[in-house]
Amino acid sequence: MRQRPPENALESEKQALRERRRFLLQAAGGSLALLFPPGRTTATPAVDPWVTLDAALRHLFPHEANSPGADDINALAYLRRVVADPFVDADERAFITRGAGWLEELAQAAHQQLFAKLDAARRERLLRHVAARPVGENWLSTLIVYLLEALLTAPAYGGNPNGIGWSWLRHIPGFPLPDSDTVYWKLPL
Amino acid sequence: MSRDFDVCVIGSGAGGGPIAYELARAGRSVVVLEKGPWLRERHFTKDELACCRRPVYTPPLRDEKHVIEQRDEQGRWRAQSNDQGGPNLWNGNCVGGSSNFMSGFFHRMKPIDFKLLSTFGPIDGANVADWPIDYAELEPWYRHVEEVVGVSGQVRPHAHEAPRSNADYPYPPTREHPISARIDEAARALGLRAVKVPRAILTRPHPTRRSCEYSGYCGSFGCSSGAKGSSRAALLDQAVATGRCKIIDHAKVHRLVSDARGRIRHVAWFDRNGAEQRLDAHIYVVACQAIETCRLLLASTGPRFPHGLANNHGQVGRNLLFSAGGVGSGDFDFRGRDPDEIKALRVTGPFVNRALHDWYRFRHPEFGDSKGGIIEFLWEHPNPTAHAQNAMWRGDRLLWGRELKRNLEAWFRTDRTLDFEVFNDWLPTDDCRVELSKQVRDRWGTPVAKVRLNAHPRDLAVGRWLAEKGERLLRQLGAVRIRSSVSPNPPPNLQAGGCRFGNDPGRSVLDPDCRAHEVDNLFVTDGSFMPTGGSVPYTWTIYANSFRVAEKIKSQLG
Repeated sequence: MRQRPPENALESEKQALRERRRFLLQAAGGSLALLFPPGRTTATPAVDPWVTLDAALRHLFPHEANSPGADDINALAYLRRVVADPFVDADERAFITRGAGWLEELAQAAHQQLFAKLDAARRERLLRHVAARPVGENWLSTLIVYLLEALLTAPAYGGNPNGIGWSWLRHIPGFPLPDSDTVYWKLPL
Repeated sequence: MSRDFDVCVIGSGAGGGPIAYELARAGRSVVVLEKGPWLRERHFTKDELACCRRPVYTPPLRDEKHVIEQRDEQGRWRAQSNDQGGPNLWNGNCVGGSSNFMSGFFHRMKPIDFKLLSTFGPIDGANVADWPIDYAELEPWYRHVEEVVGVSGQVRPHAHEAPRSNADYPYPPTREHPISARIDEAARALGLRAVKVPRAILTRPHPTRRSCEYSGYCGSFGCSSGAKGSSRAALLDQAVATGRCKIIDHAKVHRLVSDARGRIRHVAWFDRNGAEQRLDAHIYVVACQAIETCRLLLASTGPRFPHGLANNHGQVGRNLLFSAGGVGSGDFDFRGRDPDEIKALRVTGPFVNRALHDWYRFRHPEFGDSKGGIIEFLWEHPNPTAHAQNAMWRGDRLLWGRELKRNLEAWFRTDRTLDFEVFNDWLPTDDCRVELSKQVRDRWGTPVAKVRLNAHPRDLAVGRWLAEKGERLLRQLGAVRIRSSVSPNPPPNLQAGGCRFGNDPGRSVLDPDCRAHEVDNLFVTDGSFMPTGGSVPYTWTIYANSFRVAEKIKSQLG
């Protein structure tokens, strides 16, 4: 088998992320300058990024009667694990929480409110605003990739409880699946 | 003179396994040094994160990079460390190497592949060369692989079939998907012959390996039953069982130290704690996969080899090969089909096992009598997260919320995608080669490989020609949304070349026995030896050649 799509699609996505992140680090110096026009930000109270991320994940992947949402797939806990995982690129992990800070600053600038307190319509407008710029789109797409992992990877990794994501999408997993002894961080690598 | 071992094998994949197996069984002491960990069957599960989304079977790029040199849009060469972007060239860094993660599509090379230059003549901009051996010399070793590694299949004669000395495969074919019979019919309707693809997958148990369990998750996953003919399951476990083969994992070899006579004296390596170790042997076999083999030789300078071991003619690293070609797909839409047909399409587990060889040699409108390739059919890879990522964009627009969820439902529930892969020759050129980076080092402080990548225009033209034929078969099958893509980007798991074998020491690194022309206790047995790569996946040929070379090593040891 050639290494190719979908593996290559994933690889090129990762490659694009690496390149975009480098662009971010060089061009923006980690500041808000690239994401939002200057002069529109105000001082932001210290907000736990996980409060913002929780609200963002719920908005990006809402619960519906016939399909699981972020809470149903343990997306927040899954993302916490990703951010603590040395197998995930350190820049990417920092980027996830830093992006939450930017989103919070934007919520303050636009509405003088925490992102988590905004109604759905305002959240949507803010997220669309974020997605309109490359760095913001990169951040959101990173969150969505990990949401999809929480939806569809083996339950031993903390998402997809009882295969809820597989059932919804009628996906047939392979066997044997990793269990708590064979998750990758427990392999004798 | 006393040595630690008779034979030291560096790298444990398809090139190293046969040497360890044969020499240990012949009563010789063998040590295998493998940079990665030693994972066993019990560690391999159908884990998308481990196989394909985290650096588990490959090193993190922050620790071990490559420098990739490619032409930019203005045609200038640009070098960039691949932790900053560019392809990741690692695959399968563990005992057994990338053979753990292959699909095991096993095709022999064909007689014309050994004689491309004399059959088709030179090609501008390509360094095409005949092999110094012919198909007949390798044939008994292809057969040996069928028996020892285990190849399942069923001979179905066709015009481009490579001659065989045995009537059929030692293992019956794997179970087949309902689509396979439909591919046969569609091919017949087009005047073609769908070939049953032999697989390095056991269909009957072996004393130490179970037969295939048809999980539906094969290529890119380690095999949990032992059915897949990886170097680890098929050869190294048996070599260790003789009591004469020692495998040292986490052993990063960084230098082959040679003396004033040009012979290797010992091998220097870092153990899992980063401490430098050395050991010696009568014969050294390098099989680290093409890029890393070239890197190790180039880094191993010595009193007789100022430019790298066996490199006084500047041939090490030249004519690196990948597999040219590309991929195509068509969807079988469930709408309008009866429930039984949908059920048949959704079957997972059995294999498609069909390929077209009809254009292995063909008349191209521009190039005339030409070398072509094969088209291999397979269901889209089953990894669900990778599949879902297709659904998160609509054009350039990032989707989320209900829009994303409806798109996911459409991607997963309404069709199934049949893929094809085109394999054709990656012509050897001066612009595809391995050197040592002067700036970038790995976590042990040794220089990394700088890989210049470029494809010959002929590779793309032949690949596109074949992809169009693959699309035709998908149309005949009734697939929709048929598309294909042929690109110059190399598949990192299909590497060869860089240390050509040949008769002329000025134009090759290895002699016809895969012994270095300039170093009589050095052999190279991964795909590096290949002057041209043929138009099929490399693994069977690497195995066969390594078994052939094992006999030469036995003779040399006396």
